[in-house]
Amino acid sequence: MNKILLQFFITVAVFATIYFGLSQIDWIAVLKVKEASKKTEEKLGDFFWELFSKADEEIHDEKTVAIIDSLVNHLCEANSIDQTKIKIHILKNGEVNAFTLPNNYLVIYSGLIKSTENEAELLGVVGHELAHMEKGHVMKKLIKEIGLSALISMTAGGGGQTVKEALKLLSSSAYDRDLEREADITSVEYMIRARIDPEPFANFMYRLSDKEKNLPSQAYWISTHPDSKERAEYIINYIKGKTFIKKPLLTESQWKELKERVKN
Amino acid sequence: MSLAIDKFGHEPSEHEAENASNSYLMSLVAVVAGLPLPIMNLVATLFFYIGNRKGSHFVRWHCTQALLSQASLLPVNSIGFWWTISIIFSNEQISSKYIAYLITIVLFNLFDFIATMIAAVQTRKGIHVEWWLYGSVTNLICRA
Repeated sequence: MNKILLQFFITVAVFATIYFGLSQIDWIAVLKVKEASKKTEEKLGDFFWELFSKADEEIHDEKTVAIIDSLVNHLCEANSIDQTKIKIHILKNGEVNAFTLPNNYLVIYSGLIKSTENEAELLGVVGHELAHMEKGHVMKKLIKEIGLSALISMTAGGGGQTVKEALKLLSSSAYDRDLEREADITSVEYMIRARIDPEPFANFMYRLSDKEKNLPSQAYWISTHPDSKERAEYIINYIKGKTFIKKPLLTESQWKELKERVKN
Repeated sequence: MSLAIDKFGHEPSEHEAENASNSYLMSLVAVVAGLPLPIMNLVATLFFYIGNRKGSHFVRWHCTQALLSQASLLPVNSIGFWWTISIIFSNEQISSKYIAYLITIVLFNLFDFIATMIAAVQTRKGIHVEWWLYGSVTNLICRA
């Protein structure tokens, strides 16, 4: 019996020693895991963006772009997010939608800007998308739903049906419930750090979930993010009792100008 | 895990040697067939073990040793399997620790695979092979 115990412990010790020894090596760097996945992400992001940019006209109006840039940059600066890596694009599309693509593309539809009543509502949605970007949810969702091999073959010009599926998946922002919750709360934290009131973000979700019954195709961001009322409630609960400084970024006239320019 | 070639109580017959050797082959066949679930090797060996419960001591002894080796690989491989699943389907990221664990279990499985092949060949010749640890445990639970 003693012999068996001794042999058992020696076997476990050998296993543990090999594992411990091997885990001291930085395999991620040795196998260049990050570089390989970054390259795939870059290719995919550029590929998807090209398709989206063909489907809708991009808004290049200097003033509009400058205002949106300044809002996103403010959120990034307050949260130590490298804003230089983010590629912001505003597309002329009536859908109330914003989404992220691989390789740090942030796409905002004019319909979203039109339907938000203030900068805080807009930044709540933008913060939510930035959270998906920062936490690596975009590639995770694509790999889970479509598969890495299909994605790689897509960038090489194959899989027409899979491309369609991927585009729908990306713009619908249909992430897992847990990922959505994580992105919501992270967005609220981003807003608090950036001294933006997060309450309008919850109000925006309440408002659109009511409108959804009448405007199913327009309220896209909300209709593809289920349980919006429940989400608005947990945002309200999260900020309840918290004190934070609110500092407006845009003047009333700047906000009005942005909405006017997007309308035109 | 070392292999010790010992003398068995009696000289096994041709049929006994074949059955004993097959118990090791069962786990090898499951690996070669590329079954993705770690439990499959164990199930294959378990079925063979059950089928030979009433066999001679030599056959039962080797079926038990083959079963023990597969049973001990199950928890080790299952951790690797579910770790991989959580990377694919949840927020878990690929880490150096994960890769180190995969290499460790590949090494252990490879070692087990080679030992199983040697045991299959030796028992087919009627030679009794006792493995490190599993041999001692088998001696304890498989009495003549």
